[in-house]
Amino acid sequence: MNRYQVSSESVSGVSRRRFVKTAGAAGVALTLAGCGGGGGDDSVTITADQPYKDAQDEVVSALHDAGLSDDIDVTIQAGDFESGSRREQFVSTLDAGRSDPDIFMMDSGWTIPFIVRDQLVNLSEEMSQETLDYVSNDYLDAAVQTASHPDSGDLYGLPLFPDYPVMHYRKDLVEEAGYDPEGENWATEPMTWQRFSEIAADVWDQNDNIDYGFTTQADSYVGLSCCTFSETMTSWGGAYFGDHENLFGPIGDRPITVNEQPVHDTIRMMRSFMNGPDANNAHPDYPQITNTDILEWTEEDARAPFTNGNAVFHRNWPYAIPINFNDGEFDDADYSVMPLPYAVSEDEASYEGAGGSSHALGGWHLTINPNSDRTDDAVKVLESFANENVMNTIFEEVGNPPPVPEVLENANPDNVGPIGNFLDTMAVAARNTVPRPVTAIWPDQSPVVAEEVHNAYLGDKSPSTAMSDLEGRLEELEQSV
Amino acid sequence: MSTDTDRTNASLLARPLNWLETRSDAAFAYLLLGPAFLLLAVVAFYPLIQTFRFSLRADAILSADPFGAFIGFDHYVDLLTGDALLPQQFLDPSFQTPVLQQALFVTLAFAILSVLLETAIGFGQALILDQDFYGRRWVRVAIIIPYAIPIVIQAMIFYLMFSTRVGFATEFMQSIGVFGSNPLSTTTDSFLIVLVADVWKTSAFMALLILAGLQSIDRQLYDVAKVTGASPWQRFKYITLPLISGPLLVAMLFRTMDAMRIYGLIDATAGCQTVPSMTCLVVTAFNESRRWASASAVAFLTAVVISVIVVLYLVGLRDSESGMT
Repeated sequence: MNRYQVSSESVSGVSRRRFVKTAGAAGVALTLAGCGGGGGDDSVTITADQPYKDAQDEVVSALHDAGLSDDIDVTIQAGDFESGSRREQFVSTLDAGRSDPDIFMMDSGWTIPFIVRDQLVNLSEEMSQETLDYVSNDYLDAAVQTASHPDSGDLYGLPLFPDYPVMHYRKDLVEEAGYDPEGENWATEPMTWQRFSEIAADVWDQNDNIDYGFTTQADSYVGLSCCTFSETMTSWGGAYFGDHENLFGPIGDRPITVNEQPVHDTIRMMRSFMNGPDANNAHPDYPQITNTDILEWTEEDARAPFTNGNAVFHRNWPYAIPINFNDGEFDDADYSVMPLPYAVSEDEASYEGAGGSSHALGGWHLTINPNSDRTDDAVKVLESFANENVMNTIFEEVGNPPPVPEVLENANPDNVGPIGNFLDTMAVAARNTVPRPVTAIWPDQSPVVAEEVHNAYLGDKSPSTAMSDLEGRLEELEQSV
Repeated sequence: MSTDTDRTNASLLARPLNWLETRSDAAFAYLLLGPAFLLLAVVAFYPLIQTFRFSLRADAILSADPFGAFIGFDHYVDLLTGDALLPQQFLDPSFQTPVLQQALFVTLAFAILSVLLETAIGFGQALILDQDFYGRRWVRVAIIIPYAIPIVIQAMIFYLMFSTRVGFATEFMQSIGVFGSNPLSTTTDSFLIVLVADVWKTSAFMALLILAGLQSIDRQLYDVAKVTGASPWQRFKYITLPLISGPLLVAMLFRTMDAMRIYGLIDATAGCQTVPSMTCLVVTAFNESRRWASASAVAFLTAVVISVIVVLYLVGLRDSESGMT
């Protein structure tokens, strides 16, 4: 026995009786302390982005002006900033059968899985015919499709705002290099990838102090499969599932068309952009305009060099416009945007919907929680959102463009901040969107697409091997449902 | 009358307490452990059993209930034959999937390499710290600092070092021919980055545990060995190593269990697509694709693999002279 070890009885000042009593009392107290909380009020709650919460007074006031009864109060609470986390938050809410919030603000990239699982209120059964007609006739069709049931066509979400990328560029640099964006109408007339890359290479070549001719997102992440690769492939006339009517299904009964020439050419062009036309599996007709850094970039990584004045062209969503205006290391007059380039025209594309300038469609919808205690009020709130003045208020206060192209085109440029300078380009992009192929199986397919495309971009696989592997994996997933 | 009732109640209450006081120390200890064991059963064993039950059901991505019909061990067969419908495979015996894209091998390779390196470096640090020298206290602080850094910050340090935007390390590693131009997008390079990041931080943990073991060794043993002419190597081999093996194995056991569950460091550096560990697979299947039954099967397999390793350690501990069993 160690000499320090003595009987516990002799050193302990606490009897067993006292220990048991104390421990028991502490346990009961802690248990009681854990109870309580909860509560709430009678208003209709919406979980949305923080900027909506910040502009709650203006938005709610606009809703009431649009005919929402003054008896219905609306509270906007901020959901998680990151789209994936927001989805997990809503999955938990719905799985647990919670009644709060009454209205969800859902990403158009993952609304359909909730719809096919029958976890949202069917708006076609709840909304007035007038509102339903307005949505089906005037709203951006591609946005409505991502808020509707792929089989029945019933509406389950009201598009709140659409989102589509544009090409941001340094007007001063291209003009100094001898080009004439205004004379050639770059703002509304998309150019080919060929001409775009030649201009980018030339301007980059004439500016030794600039690190990138072009920055975009090519990391292996959800944005590659849904958006940057999808739109570039579409502009080459390629498609994931043949004609665009197949984008939302039927799962397992549609062609897989990734292992085809236009898709291979898309990868080859991107490899030329990064490694030059002489690299392995690069397209010999396209010059180098960036480097392999883009393989690790998502939106903000790609935006930073542009905002810092270190890139000529930059593909990003409109959220970057106010940032470039406010923080850009260049004068506001030296900055502009244009539609994304294309490789083949719509007529030359093999599939309906493919070809021409293509912009991946992002955006968000408002949907109703089926467990809500105030479904009727929530429907009335949604109907009030389908109003031109509310859309304009959101455009002005939050900066999100209206889901109705006509409202966007008629918006007052003076009231919508920096985006007001580029409404003409935004309108062109809005008319040339490519929806995400969102089905119940897309969450499984998206990382597989990103992985194989990224492997091909990296050069780990040839375009044909990567796309052949992708074809097999997509088919396997299609048949698993 | 009421006084009598109170007294009866008091004696009723006193009875179990009196009984308690007449138990042996061992019985009292077990009694006190009872609630803890019950709690463990509720928070650990019940979820484990429930996870196993879920793993026997089909994935139901089209319905509100994420669990479909009972399908037995199909998920396990798919996971162990490389046919799982997940972005990355758990195990692909045909090896059409690269080794470092198979979660089991990624995790085992990470656990073995990181624990071996951390043990070796930690041992070296502990041997130095065990010496008497000026400023020893400051050296101890310096060694422990990385361990005080939160996982996400640790991961961000290494992410930024190799980031294409601000990183400085890629160029250097490329110049000596170790990495390619996009280490955070390349599986092998990213695996090495995650490994080094873990070793950098956690060697201190091993050093501290081993140091505690070293300091418990009676110094007189070394004096006797010196007198009898034992060389430093002989003193290490015949005194230090046998006496430290118990604490060393316990420290390695803790580290191995931690390493087998690696997730946060990967998620915040290279991402789960580039370095898919077993926990990565669970999180991806659960969060991204709503394959909850598949996620449950991966989680249960992870628990099984970790249990096998723990058993191996326990056998090692039993065999070591200062074993704890």
